[in-house]
Amino acid sequence: MERPEHPLRPQRLETLTQEAVELGILSLSGSEDGFGIWDHTDSAEAMLFNIGTLRHLGQANPGVAFSWHRSSLAHGLAKLLGFTLNQERFLATTLSITGHYGLGRYSLARWLKGSAIPPEEQDVLGDWLNRQQHASPIVAAEDWQTLLWPQWSDGEVVWCLSDRAGESVSRCEAQHGFDELSSYLVQAHEHGDIRSLDASQTRSIYQRMLKADCIGLMAIAVGALQRGQTLATEYAAIRKQGGKRIDHHPAVQFMLGEVEMTLQHAEAALGMTTRPLDELDLGVLLSMRARLHESLCQAANHVVQVHGGIGYMRDCGAEKIVRDLNMLKLQGGGTREIPLFLAAWVEK
Amino acid sequence: MSLNMHLDGHLPSTHQLSPHWQYGEFPVLARQFTHYSSRDLWEADTARLPKALAKIRRAARGFAEQHIAPLASAADLAEHLPVGECLPDVQRLLIEAGKAGWLSYFMPAPLGSMPWQAVTQPPIWQCALVVEEFSRACGGLMLLLSAHHLGCMPLLLSGSPGAITRHLAPVYRSCLNGDPHLVAFAITEPGAGSDAEEGHGAEVYRPGVVATPAPGGYLLNGRKCFISGGDLAKSATVFAALQGEGMDSWTCFYVDADSPGYSIARTEMKMGMRASGAAELEFNNVFVPNGRLIGGLRKGWALNRATLNASRIPVAAMGVGLARAATELAVDFARRYKLGGKELIHYQDVQLHLATMVAETRAIRSLIWQEAKHAWKPRQLNASLCKFHATDRAQHVVEMALDLLADHGSLHEQRIEKIFRDVRLTRIFEGTNQINRLSLIEDWQEQLLPLDSHSPIVGV
Ligand SMILES: Cc1cc2nc3c(=O)[nH]c(=O)nc-3n(C[C@H](O)[C@H](O)[C@H](O)COP(=O)(O)OP(=O)(O)OC[C@H]3O[C@@H](n4cnc5c(N)ncnc54)[C@H](O)[C@@H]3O)c2cc1C
Repeated sequence: MERPEHPLRPQRLETLTQEAVELGILSLSGSEDGFGIWDHTDSAEAMLFNIGTLRHLGQANPGVAFSWHRSSLAHGLAKLLGFTLNQERFLATTLSITGHYGLGRYSLARWLKGSAIPPEEQDVLGDWLNRQQHASPIVAAEDWQTLLWPQWSDGEVVWCLSDRAGESVSRCEAQHGFDELSSYLVQAHEHGDIRSLDASQTRSIYQRMLKADCIGLMAIAVGALQRGQTLATEYAAIRKQGGKRIDHHPAVQFMLGEVEMTLQHAEAALGMTTRPLDELDLGVLLSMRARLHESLCQAANHVVQVHGGIGYMRDCGAEKIVRDLNMLKLQGGGTREIPLFLAAWVEK
Repeated sequence: MSLNMHLDGHLPSTHQLSPHWQYGEFPVLARQFTHYSSRDLWEADTARLPKALAKIRRAARGFAEQHIAPLASAADLAEHLPVGECLPDVQRLLIEAGKAGWLSYFMPAPLGSMPWQAVTQPPIWQCALVVEEFSRACGGLMLLLSAHHLGCMPLLLSGSPGAITRHLAPVYRSCLNGDPHLVAFAITEPGAGSDAEEGHGAEVYRPGVVATPAPGGYLLNGRKCFISGGDLAKSATVFAALQGEGMDSWTCFYVDADSPGYSIARTEMKMGMRASGAAELEFNNVFVPNGRLIGGLRKGWALNRATLNASRIPVAAMGVGLARAATELAVDFARRYKLGGKELIHYQDVQLHLATMVAETRAIRSLIWQEAKHAWKPRQLNASLCKFHATDRAQHVVEMALDLLADHGSLHEQRIEKIFRDVRLTRIFEGTNQINRLSLIEDWQEQLLPLDSHSPIVGV
């Protein structure tokens, strides 16, 4: 039997990505006429396309979906900021929107709202985005060349396009999930190519990026669980234990039911996000993300559990869904600090 | 610790409003009830154990830190090995573990390596302590070293002096002499996982591994799957039904892996615990002499269940070891990693998070010690309860550790992602946690029935 020890080689990912560019799912064009993922966010239809596509991709392969999502955001942001990117390879550029650890506690929310920030919180924000002092983890396709990320510079947030060759980049061991991608710790040596906008513009762009990232991660995760649900229901219909199909045992029915409940909730939540991005509230999206990823991970664990021992084996596919869903939960600063963010977001 | 050191939100321990140091100045009588020692938690727990067990716990920790932990990452990241191959370092570990007595501790000398001082304590307790320490160092290597005890368990529990002296003692001797002899435990079949652990299912299952009488013994045919350590084991306790009969005829056979017709069809590529192989064993007319029939004809089902009762508390201890490792690593990260110019542990929300993890970990350990302490004859209800609860909670603790590390959590270098992959298994094997919940109820039936309105309240 063919073993999935090496799930998708970097070369294969490049080829796939090229095909997606040719199909128009991903857009390399520097103009406004592209209709790839995250090219448009100003209408419900465009959002439906972004979300639907990422969900489908998530169903097929969350790692690939994640790399396309992040690179799409990077291309869109670069266009907005006037950066010139590699026009040959879509995956050459990736994006990291959060700081070196977590979600900036409550200082990020305060800054985004334009509230006055006490000095110690400004210190947290400044340190969070201090790319020179801290190494930030990123997950990306193996041969990425440039990284678009926010940095702290002289008391403000600026956008920076860093060249891999110019930074200190250490490649990590195979990470928890997203077997198709690699993990890196990136620390800036130089300031890179910087764009500094006025504060309110920066805040607005930052919010939009966080919102899009949040929606993208959720959409991919929902797709991944849909795949899990298919695996679990199909397996439960053919596996017999205790004298009957296992989906006739309440123990298994409860797990399958919880997977379905999770997906229904997730569908409803994602449905709410098919509106122009600017009309969506970041706090609402982060609230959704915190709950959704928690329940999606739990449901993916049910998918493994329904399979019993075979679910633990790499050939089956169920365990990868758990790992990939864990990855999605941990990206973008993770979910643990979301309540802190929200407390500041709703603060009077 | 310097006098003024403190975490944010807390007073230095020398402060006027910090009570602990003042307990030491209470009158003698009051001191007896107030002045506690705030030593390292692990040390304090160890000191509470009976002396012999404390010594074993310390030795297990020492061995795990010196021999197991350094191999953990490489063994996990290694390519899937061909059947029967073992990384040279892991082979050396097996030799060291054998010589140090970690593969023979269910019997005292001269048969095994259990210290004589420990014979007054249930061996399950000793095993739970060792398993926790080994799991903390590496789930996969722990399984490699521990599945062997599961394999040996039917020999022990058969209560047959012959089985012990003729079969178990040579295994133990070989391990102690530096020639590790691993024994695998084989109940699961492609068609029976839960059905091999649960009577209701077994009742209707048509056995897949069948023993046919032959002159001087039996011929085994069929397949067992997911057998931990089955790829390296020199022998296995294999459960088979007698030809033409159902699972109630299950009989335990002690099978030599060198026997003609015995083969390893494949080993699985697992999510975690990758240092231990999960093998599919194939039996093609494997002859097993009568002398290798363990515990009596048709006694296999009960022997299997007794074995599971003995092993489920140690499996629960795997959960503790893994939760503890995750908690220790999370604490370490919070003490090291700086945000906003200070270590994460200064932030109140991080303190709350860690406190919950410590409490969860210690709660499951308390449960296990409480049960293991009395596990001379481990009851199914108690053993199953420990297994499903401890492993479920342990996974939750590991998830909390991942959450705390956020984007760093997925990095292999932080070690917690591996612990997640390892702990996930503990909720599946030795009976899924669903089957273990049903085992609790099954064993409780005598108290729960009859279901009439005059029955007294059932104690919990
Ligand atoms: C890595 C690994 C190592 C292992 N090591 C060993 C070993 O050393 N020796 C050995 O013999 N076995 C071993 N096993 C097998 C293990 O004990 C079984 O995988 C486990 O008991 C579950 O059986 P299964 O995989 O067939 O799942 P199934 O029994 O098919 O279960 C599938 C799902 O159905 C549910 N289910 C099944 N029956 C019922 C029922 N009657 N009522 C309600 N729900 C039910 C289960 O809870 C589960 O959710 C190992 C397994 C793994 C994954």
